[in-house]
Amino acid sequence: MNTAIYTKSLSDSRRSLLGWTLGTATIGMMYASTYPSQKENTASLPEAMREALHTDATAAGYLQTSVFGLIVPLLATIYGTATGSRTTASEEESGQLDLLLAHPLPRSRLLLQRFGALVTGAVAVSALVWVAMLAVRGSADLTSITPVEFLAQCVNLALLAIVFGALATGLGAASGRRVVVLAGTAAVGVLTYTAHAFAAQLGADWLARLSPFHYYIGSEPLKHGFQWADVSVLAGTAAVLVGLGTAAFARRDVNS
Amino acid sequence: MENAIELRELTKTYGTRRGLAGLSLEVCAGEVFGFLGPNGAGKSTTIRLLLDLIRPTGGTATVLGLDPRRDGVELRGRVGYLAGDFVCDGRQNVRTYLRFLAALRGGVPQERIDGLADRLGLDQSAKIKKLSKGNRQKVGLVQAFMHTPELLVLDEPTSGLDPLVQQTFLDLVSEAAAQGQTVFMSSHVMAEVEAVADRVGIIRDGRLVALDTVAGLRAGTVRDVRITFADPVPEAAFAQIEGAQQLRLDGHGTTLTGRLTGSPDPLVKALARYTVTGIRLTEPALDELFHSYYAGAEAAPRTTPAGTATTAGTAGTAA
Ligand SMILES: Nc1ncnc2c1ncn2[C@@H]1O[C@H](COP(=O)(O)OP(=O)(O)OP(=O)(O)O)[C@@H](O)[C@H]1O
Ligand SMILES: [Mg+2]
Repeated sequence: MNTAIYTKSLSDSRRSLLGWTLGTATIGMMYASTYPSQKENTASLPEAMREALHTDATAAGYLQTSVFGLIVPLLATIYGTATGSRTTASEEESGQLDLLLAHPLPRSRLLLQRFGALVTGAVAVSALVWVAMLAVRGSADLTSITPVEFLAQCVNLALLAIVFGALATGLGAASGRRVVVLAGTAAVGVLTYTAHAFAAQLGADWLARLSPFHYYIGSEPLKHGFQWADVSVLAGTAAVLVGLGTAAFARRDVNS
Repeated sequence: MENAIELRELTKTYGTRRGLAGLSLEVCAGEVFGFLGPNGAGKSTTIRLLLDLIRPTGGTATVLGLDPRRDGVELRGRVGYLAGDFVCDGRQNVRTYLRFLAALRGGVPQERIDGLADRLGLDQSAKIKKLSKGNRQKVGLVQAFMHTPELLVLDEPTSGLDPLVQQTFLDLVSEAAAQGQTVFMSSHVMAEVEAVADRVGIIRDGRLVALDTVAGLRAGTVRDVRITFADPVPEAAFAQIEGAQQLRLDGHGTTLTGRLTGSPDPLVKALARYTVTGIRLTEPALDELFHSYYAGAEAAPRTTPAGTATTAGTAGTAA
């Protein structure tokens, strides 16, 4: 199998990928390190407020609202979107796709190898976040969370980035336009995050089930470890999105 | 296999815009085919259909005996393509990028790439983004030729090239043809195609309007003639010659001047009866013929000011 596209995608993005991995891990580590000082604050919050924030005074509760509830998934989502928009849409818009697709490779191979590079990057980012968490686990008083539980959350983090990457890839493959990718992914991101955050208050739990964020953190992997059903839903969603994108891409005209 | 390219009633519409309107064409294996036409005629549309970058609305295309849609991968492996507006990822240097493209084809000998780049005067250590337009075009040429494909499909290959490099390019085309490769190249300029092409097709408004050998096209055109004789010649001597209606003898009957239409053969045969002291026949102005096909194209430039030219489709007045 000719893997030239995959290799080139990775080597082209090596600098930005290095930035994403180090940046995300550093930010995650910084936030996680504040747990000892935040513990008291959280404990002193009124019960109702803690409920609203989905938090409690435990290490897992704190990380679920701060590090893994907001900052890191936001970065992962942006990583997925930005990288996914480069699967085909950016190059198609600048007319560069003609040249590659005039070579003896099926369009699906271009798409899947680029997406493969995206997956590799998402795994690298999450892996380093995991390493960063293990690095501060002792000093930041996070020992109530086992390394496996951290790993479970980080796997979901990678899958979250991959789902948004798949959405961006699919939209780009179907439309060939970057603006569709960015607007579409941003809209889905905001709506599904909101659905995940407020479904409980609205008394509409079914709404949360439409959100990838629900499968990412809803079952609290930091407390309960791997949730294979959630993992499958995220992986399955990504596969379906990329599959649909590949089918649409194979069928249409390439813009020059 | 006889035909490298076979197009049957090929149509392509972009929404409501016309791309191609029933194009039928055959390009024989081993020939150099010049594909000419004014802006917007459908040249790039045809070429992109051949490579399965876009799909026809109707009709069929067969390339190297293959269906572009079904056997696209095999087909593209045997074809070298240069896009009309060649753009590529500019972040790396020429050598790295060409090697990547070669890898997509399962590898090309480095000497072959180096040889082509040297002949075209392309500096492989330069960053593509920093290259001038013409030098970037050379990258496109190298990648199209480097794997010695059976069929070269080149969309305006000489755009941006200086005259010396254009000549090198024409040499490359001739060499490819000598090795049995087929070349299908589009252009706006008859002069560049006529030097290498075996046949020329002219497309206008999505249709083929002329198809002939270069010699055949030339046969229909007009030459300027000037012939001098040792002794006066009877006035009616050339009156019956085919295509010679515009030739005139001067008062002494010793100089024949004017325009000759079509083949020069009948005139030459008639001349043999007299003593000719001088003869001059100019090259036929193929461009003139070409212009007559260009004029009237929907997209041809108008001399009427834009404000008054309200109806599209009326014949252009530029010629
Ligand atoms: N993607 C597209 N969307 C809409 N119309 C298009 C598209 N591509 C081409 N066309 C139309 O199809 C017609 C043929 O265009 P094409 O690019 O094939 O012309 P061409 O002969 O290559 O012209 P040029 O000499 O300017 O390169 C034009 O009228 C053009 O406007
Ligand atoms: Mg064109």
